[in-house]
Amino acid sequence: MDYDLGADAAELRKRLRDLISAQIPEGFLGACTDDPRDLATTESFCKLLASDGLLALAWPKEHGGGGGSIWQQTVLREEMWAHHEPRGAQYMGINWVGPALMRYGTVEQKARHLSAISAGEVIWCQGFSEPEAGTDLASLRTRAVPNGDGWRVTGQKVWTSYAQMASWCVLAACTDPNAPKPKRLSLFLVPMDRPGITVRPIRSMLGPHHLNEVFLDDVEVFADEVLGEVGDGWRVMREALAFERVGIARYARCESLLDRMQNELGDDWDQLPESIRARWVRALIDLRVARLLAYRAVSLQDDPSAGAAASAARIATTTCDQQVAELLFDVLGPTALDSGASARLHGAVEDHWRYAQAATVASGTIEVQRMLVAREALGDHR
Amino acid sequence: MKTALPEDITEFAAVAAKRFVRFGGPQTALRAETEEHLRHDAWSALADLGAFDLDVRSSPDDLLAAAVLCQAAGAAALPYPLVEELLAIDGARLALVNPAAPRIDHGDLPGDWIAADLDGTRYHVQPSSRTSAKLGPFLVPATLTEPEGIVPAADVDMHLTLGSWRILGVVQQALEITRQHVTARMQFGKPLAEFQAVRFTIADASVAVRGLYELAKYTISRTESTAAQVHSADALILRLKAVDTAHQVLRTAHQLLGALGFCDESDVSVLDRHTQPLIRLPVSSEILALRLIPGVRGGQLETLFSQPVAAEPV
Repeated sequence: MDYDLGADAAELRKRLRDLISAQIPEGFLGACTDDPRDLATTESFCKLLASDGLLALAWPKEHGGGGGSIWQQTVLREEMWAHHEPRGAQYMGINWVGPALMRYGTVEQKARHLSAISAGEVIWCQGFSEPEAGTDLASLRTRAVPNGDGWRVTGQKVWTSYAQMASWCVLAACTDPNAPKPKRLSLFLVPMDRPGITVRPIRSMLGPHHLNEVFLDDVEVFADEVLGEVGDGWRVMREALAFERVGIARYARCESLLDRMQNELGDDWDQLPESIRARWVRALIDLRVARLLAYRAVSLQDDPSAGAAASAARIATTTCDQQVAELLFDVLGPTALDSGASARLHGAVEDHWRYAQAATVASGTIEVQRMLVAREALGDHR
Repeated sequence: MKTALPEDITEFAAVAAKRFVRFGGPQTALRAETEEHLRHDAWSALADLGAFDLDVRSSPDDLLAAAVLCQAAGAAALPYPLVEELLAIDGARLALVNPAAPRIDHGDLPGDWIAADLDGTRYHVQPSSRTSAKLGPFLVPATLTEPEGIVPAADVDMHLTLGSWRILGVVQQALEITRQHVTARMQFGKPLAEFQAVRFTIADASVAVRGLYELAKYTISRTESTAAQVHSADALILRLKAVDTAHQVLRTAHQLLGALGFCDESDVSVLDRHTQPLIRLPVSSEILALRLIPGVRGGQLETLFSQPVAAEPV
């Protein structure tokens, strides 16, 4: 056994930290804040990463990627999330839209989209969830009605992150309501400026851009915009989302926040109540376990057991997110609710608490992850 | 990075598990509460496996073999102080004790004992006799002499680590027994495993056990590569997690097995009762957490962001 990530991964970690230190302003809390300069920061940082072959590190070089190892990708995931995701909204295009295009896209689709994604020039959103279909995506109601060689799409999407800023959407719609459930859906690659698409932001505790409604009113889509086969959307969606199987390295931001808070407190750390310091110890242990579960899931790669291993890692890391959020709020006590640049750690704790509430909901709820772990342990639930 | 056990170690673990099944598993451990010769038979099983030829102090491969042996012993509730004998000093088994209330599991077995507390303070020890307790039936109160020097910190660390591997075996086996029960037991016309509450409870226990397994592998793989203080923190971390996981998984097992889980004819009862000394002693997980507090600022609790800890002379 060997838990060394390797010299290339260690070198990459240092390189990324140096880059972030030089390029990202102190107190940066991500692209989705009320300050438009944060969004601009992520746009310029993405272009910088792209020019160094780091934005699409995991991609093959032929598509503009860096051809990085799985452990370099792991380090990239950790460092980006630890530093409040300075890639902003780009990660969706990088992490699964691009890989899905490589597997299912036509030659024309690849030529049109992949180099733009790897250069950090385009933002994608994901038109999956609907008011009546959240976790149960196969039941979505947005209809694509045949129209000549293409379709006309009508329906509503919800919770769509980055829809306001995105220029493209992977849109899931029902192309055959009479087909068996797994064969009803198709995926379309649709430009967001197409007539009939309206985006309405939803105010939320997460901050701007995270949640939107997207209304589709007789939107024209064309035959060459189908990703994969018509009627095969459910399979493509499931396989594409598996590219993101291990998910966000939430443990890395938690470890970073605890480290930053410890430095911020200095000797005052020793004056914290013993019960808080003991919780701090337990949090660090749980984070180590979450990290190791993630490493295990990464190392399994295409093994049949990788899915359940990834779900276990997600359960561990998302619950750590909320555990650390509560711990840091209790550390700050009466100043916990302070936000903005004048708050301790530039408001990173308050920001983390808000965002942590979504940890067990976003990208597959913790209930779904439990179902997947239980399925491996107990077999299928009829 | 390689997160899987080496193949030869996996094979050795399978052989050990098979030998302990031949010994009789938890039901033989139950009989050993009253049939003295069975603990000698447990020793013979270990000797057959070459347990006492393992040089855990100087051979990383042997330490890894010892770890999976302890894991298999935990799953079988093997009634023998394996960790204590693997770490014997000059032929005397090494027990980890709490000087405030010294207790030694299997302390009544023939042979010499020495004791150490978590700080490494060494004591000569005089075990008394068993008390026929239900929890920890082989646990023996002991009397300590005045401190007599120290044992190496590495020995204390290995004791905690190998004991944690034993707990790992216990919780893996308890989860497997529970899995078998909920898939077989019918209530309201269907297996318990079809109730979502049961499935979620099993999922949570499964995540806890998976996490402990990864932590156990990680910890034992680092014994050669970290500073001594970090290694000591690693051992405490593993033991704390092992104890917390045991609380969760054994509670889950009892709840899902219902009344059956309290009966000695169920292996869960035997695993739980016989493992209590390892879970509770020498100190609780709360005390382990308190011992780790200085390691947060000291950097011994390593994270992605902590500064490397300089090695100190041992």
